[in-house]
Amino acid sequence: MRLAYLFPGQGSQRPGLLHELPKCEAVEEILEEASDLLNESVYNFHSEEMLGSTKAVQIALLTSGVAAYKAFEIDGNKPDFVAGHSVGAFGAAVAAGVLEFKDALKLVELRGGLMEQAYPEGYGMGVVLGLEAHRLQSIITKFMDEKQPVFMSNQNAPDQLTISGTLQGVQNILDEVQKHGARCTSMLKVSTPSHCPLLSSVSNELTEALHKISLSKPVVPFVGNRRARLLFHPDDIRQDLADSVSTAVQWHDASTVLYENGVRLFIEMPPGNVLTRLANRAFPDAKVLSVTENGFDDCLYILEKNRRKK
Amino acid sequence: MMHTENLKRVWTTRLDAKEKRKSIVRNLVDGLVIPTDRIVEVMEKLIRPGDRVVLEGNNQKQASFLSEALAQVNPKHLFDLHMIMSSISRPEHLDLFERGIANKVDFAYAGPQSLRMAQMVEDRKLSIGEIHTYIELYGRLFIDLIPSVALVAADKADRFGNLYTGPNTEETPTLVEAAAFRDGIVIVQVNELTDELPRVDIPGSWVDYVVVADEPYELEPLFTRDPRHITDIQILQAMMIIRGIYQKHEVQSLNHGIGYNTAAVELLLPTYAESLGLKGKICKHWALNPHPTMIPAIESGWVESMHCFGGEVGMEKYVEARRDVFFTGADGSMRSNRTLSQMAGQYAVDLFIGSTLQMDGAGNSSTVTRGRLAGYGGAPNMGHDPGGRRHSTPAWLNIMTSEDSLARGKKLVVQVVETFQTGNKPVFVESLDAIEVKKDTGLAIAPVMIYGDDVTHVVTEEGIAYLYKADSMEKRREAIAAIAGVTTIGQTLTSNKLDQLRQEGLIALPEDLQIRRSDAKRSLLAAKSVEELVEWSDGLYEPPAKFRSW
Repeated sequence: MRLAYLFPGQGSQRPGLLHELPKCEAVEEILEEASDLLNESVYNFHSEEMLGSTKAVQIALLTSGVAAYKAFEIDGNKPDFVAGHSVGAFGAAVAAGVLEFKDALKLVELRGGLMEQAYPEGYGMGVVLGLEAHRLQSIITKFMDEKQPVFMSNQNAPDQLTISGTLQGVQNILDEVQKHGARCTSMLKVSTPSHCPLLSSVSNELTEALHKISLSKPVVPFVGNRRARLLFHPDDIRQDLADSVSTAVQWHDASTVLYENGVRLFIEMPPGNVLTRLANRAFPDAKVLSVTENGFDDCLYILEKNRRKK
Repeated sequence: MMHTENLKRVWTTRLDAKEKRKSIVRNLVDGLVIPTDRIVEVMEKLIRPGDRVVLEGNNQKQASFLSEALAQVNPKHLFDLHMIMSSISRPEHLDLFERGIANKVDFAYAGPQSLRMAQMVEDRKLSIGEIHTYIELYGRLFIDLIPSVALVAADKADRFGNLYTGPNTEETPTLVEAAAFRDGIVIVQVNELTDELPRVDIPGSWVDYVVVADEPYELEPLFTRDPRHITDIQILQAMMIIRGIYQKHEVQSLNHGIGYNTAAVELLLPTYAESLGLKGKICKHWALNPHPTMIPAIESGWVESMHCFGGEVGMEKYVEARRDVFFTGADGSMRSNRTLSQMAGQYAVDLFIGSTLQMDGAGNSSTVTRGRLAGYGGAPNMGHDPGGRRHSTPAWLNIMTSEDSLARGKKLVVQVVETFQTGNKPVFVESLDAIEVKKDTGLAIAPVMIYGDDVTHVVTEEGIAYLYKADSMEKRREAIAAIAGVTTIGQTLTSNKLDQLRQEGLIALPEDLQIRRSDAKRSLLAAKSVEELVEWSDGLYEPPAKFRSW
């Protein structure tokens, strides 16, 4: 079975997440490296209080994902494909051999900081269940007040979509979609209008930063966020990493591309099981595991069994 | 004299070119056998840029060893291939385009790769000739899409290149014939080379090369439906179909789609239909794959004959043991034939019944969704009224509505759907997604699966619409709206209108067919699980592991 690693994005964090990582040398090395680069203990970033900050969340998520990936790698496990949701794409880029962890950490620190500063208050995101993308888009087009901009953002499943914009604007659209057949809506606990054009300045600064770093050719195919294509060239991956913050994440399509490429075993790096649940629903005949839910040792066992079969 | 001789046309250019290609690989092959580990190298020499290559891959059997090998050739030497495939199913089918080995495709179905297809069309990595029905694609292999190379799969070959394809013969003979008799090159992957074949399905003189695959060709158990998943609503629909269509029109020959609702019909034949005294009167002759859910009906003596498009994994022994029903060779194993069974399903049966994801108010249906490019299965062939038909059967004549002295009958084309799909998505829509897909991909026509004017009946959990009786488009729309439940289309109809349509016989509700909704229970199913199907088969049916729960 072809194997893909999935790296979760914001929303999957929880206090103490770095303590959930497997205890091994490979993990310790990444945690130490992170602390060195940050000039303070990386454990300072996963407290309940710190996770109120987008920047801290992103640093903790990247470190967690890469550390778990390294723990699998030390045992000789290599995925056939990688993908990451939003900031998760930076962890995926490390796993694909495109970015070094130290560069990824610097970029993520910058990205999180810029996102935090862009709209200190009054902006956020909402989620809509049970409505297809073209219906949601037509409702936004029809009801959006130009003073309260709102954009369709992430497509996590065909019927699970997010919108980003001003808090008032997002709430207005959520009220409208409720009247137009949505099954369920809610505001997300996010203080940035992620993955929409409101963050294009962040994309520009990331592009600049990414151009100062040398990216390597992926040794494992990497699926982009913005257009859900397999990307084989460092330039395409650079652009996707920069653009993604101001464009919608086509997660359902990205994971479907993996499935159509023959992936039948998905393993979600820690923390959480958000991507596992989406993949389970989208691909009933695939095997989907998360390190958080199934435990590192069980994932390792399945990986080794799969490797022997190949 | 010299002058005219110089101008004399050579009439063997195709054969000459073929001989030349074959001579280049002479040292790499052992007679007609290509060594397994040399397949990529040999393909790079036998196939030339721009060739039209027909690659066997349909929704069941796949020439998987050859497709994987073709995806490994060097695109610097071999490029711009024009692929012809009934089904684009495997990842490497599209890797051919991603890697630049091929650039154009003519096909029928791409469901398992429908997102990548849409992306690659958008990215201009692939251009589509046309999306065909199966019969159209097979037909064009002999007209204007004649292959230069055929890559196909067989179970066994002997040292003369004779092939045994057995129950999974499917489309192999058709693809081979199109290449072999136009001086194309035929390469066959086989599971094994043997001294003696059970029987010859394809003669060796049609075959240029065989290669023993490193593992058996891929075969998908596509037609297995676990009765455990059949719902009470599907049973209610099945009861309506049996009573309101099969019995009413005396349907004797037919094809079923692969949905759970038609599986429910199959499992109600020995129970509900038998209680109505219909055995021997309906459902006798089938163009159908050996569906495991047909076992109880076969065992109960309902089925006189069944011709198959392909086999079904695990049904081999059962089929062999029921020789009176299936098309079987002298050796004892079944022979399928996709081309002939599609044609039979198009021309020779009374009825086709299948399901869809979307239907508009006029009855046009499509399984296409936005951002995906999937094509069709067998439905558009069998789900239409072939205008040239002559032979009359009770069902065909029964739905003739004209008094004209030249009037003719009609094929019954039935669509069975629930008004909403899972996830609250309405099946009845004002406009098909297929129209958007046409715009997005630049197709010449919208990929409609079954055209509304071919549909004679629509069945939902609400009732049956007898569309063939509608004498105007307005009536047709009303009849569809009447059974479209609480979808936007359904809400256009008043209750007065509903009663009028019932009186006119344009629609029938369960009670009009003497069916009580409360009787539609799983206890009516002749088998409620795969395990019970195995019991019915006397242990002859051997379901694949994924269907075994015991």
